[in-house]
Amino acid sequence: MGLPKRGPVKPTIPLNYPKTLLPRREEIKDMITKDGTYLPKSLLHADLDRGFLDFVKEKFNIVSEGKKIPVVDILITTQNWSQFVETWDFQNIDKNLEPPFLTVIRNPEVKYGNNPAVQYNIPNRRMYYYMEVPTWDGNRKGADIYKIPQPVPIDLKYTVAIVCNRMREANTLNQRIMETFASRQAYQNINGHYIPIINDAFTDESSMDLESRKYYIQKYDFTMMGFLIDENQFEVYPALSRTFQMFEVDQQPRKRPQRKEQPPQLESILYSYPNSATTEERLFAYTCNLYLQGTTNVISFSVFINNQYVGDDLELIQINNGDELRIDITIGLTGQEPSVTFTQSLV
Amino acid sequence: MKSNVPITRLGKFFGDRDFELEIGMGQEWLIGDMNYTCVLYKIDRNKIKTDDVYGEVVEDGIKFLPPVEFNAYVAIAAPTNKMIGTTKMDQVEPGNITMSVYLKTLEDLQIDIDFGDYVGYYDTENFVRYYTVVNDGRVVSDIKHTYKGYKPFYRTIIAAPVGPNEFRGL
Repeated sequence: MGLPKRGPVKPTIPLNYPKTLLPRREEIKDMITKDGTYLPKSLLHADLDRGFLDFVKEKFNIVSEGKKIPVVDILITTQNWSQFVETWDFQNIDKNLEPPFLTVIRNPEVKYGNNPAVQYNIPNRRMYYYMEVPTWDGNRKGADIYKIPQPVPIDLKYTVAIVCNRMREANTLNQRIMETFASRQAYQNINGHYIPIINDAFTDESSMDLESRKYYIQKYDFTMMGFLIDENQFEVYPALSRTFQMFEVDQQPRKRPQRKEQPPQLESILYSYPNSATTEERLFAYTCNLYLQGTTNVISFSVFINNQYVGDDLELIQINNGDELRIDITIGLTGQEPSVTFTQSLV
Repeated sequence: MKSNVPITRLGKFFGDRDFELEIGMGQEWLIGDMNYTCVLYKIDRNKIKTDDVYGEVVEDGIKFLPPVEFNAYVAIAAPTNKMIGTTKMDQVEPGNITMSVYLKTLEDLQIDIDFGDYVGYYDTENFVRYYTVVNDGRVVSDIKHTYKGYKPFYRTIIAAPVGPNEFRGL
């Protein structure tokens, strides 16, 4: 009976339940912004390529005859093969790579992606509110608004090839890939972003020529459903800020003398009679009492309200709103301009 | 029991003694003058360690009989610059070695060369390249391998280069 070797045997027992639902989503968000700013990290072609290489090295880490099958630690392109071929330790005296080994080839063309999380839905790459970050410079409490554009989905096609001499090595890789992609997809965490990878196809290019060196070449095609985020396109600008001002005041009470209320000064109304005039009338648009203050060069005066005689030399005259007050005088002998002065009090 | 029938074709002007003379002169040229030397690592098919299912040899599982030097006319093909499949991995692949061996040489040394045997050929004093036999040239009935149509007299053996992960010699 086969005994479990390393997979099912847990060396330690977790003491806490793993987070689920909203706490798990928050945990992922924290993971995105870990070791950096509040903004997510850039995700460009080179990051995705590096992530896929790491995925291959981590997930397809297979051993044959007690030795780990090496992975060519760089994406094969048509440009630089001759430059880096010198650096590996699994090459022979002819500087040729010695099987078995794994290599990763990326198709140069990168097409618009099928990642369902980021599809065509917003035109013109608008900038979107991502986060509001509080700021404090010692005096002012404010906030910065972080805005980022919608990521652009891309599909990157990779081929993982194993070159080996033995069928068992090809079988081991096949088993590892089938297990990893049993649910068709796997995920790789690249710069804090979970990127799905899909297994597309499998081809065999083993050398079948009778009179040449023989080896197996098996190729597995993958699609990485990534997206592009460029941190150079992020925007940070200040939001409204509030100034917090403090005033220090003397809290000791100070006694002051109580102020006396001054009686209001009554307004004077002057009836003057220039050029030997003996009558003067005025319209009142309010209700008030008129008190006689004094006369100048007047012997006597007669009071008429609305042309109705009221009396002579009155000390108090009661006026209603809209009344017309006429005062006729008898001029004195002093030669001064005659006048009659009242003080008024609003009623 | 094998029948032993004398070859009488070309009998009016060519015979067995002529044939042996020609072969002897040829061997004198090839072995005495040219002296191209190869080393045969004959696989010990009883001791070799192979996979139970696929029959492929495991790491360091190749066992061979004591090496034997033999002389042959050697031609090594030019290396080819090619990719491994379509992996874009470009490398210069050494060419095959073609060894033309007198049948009499094999008889004298009491050796035979089969598919899968390994052959070493010294490129320099301190570098030997190993090849595995991919065509043992056992069928020698064609006109080329017979001496003027009289009898076969040599085999053309083709071997492909192998890497050190497969065979490293002694």
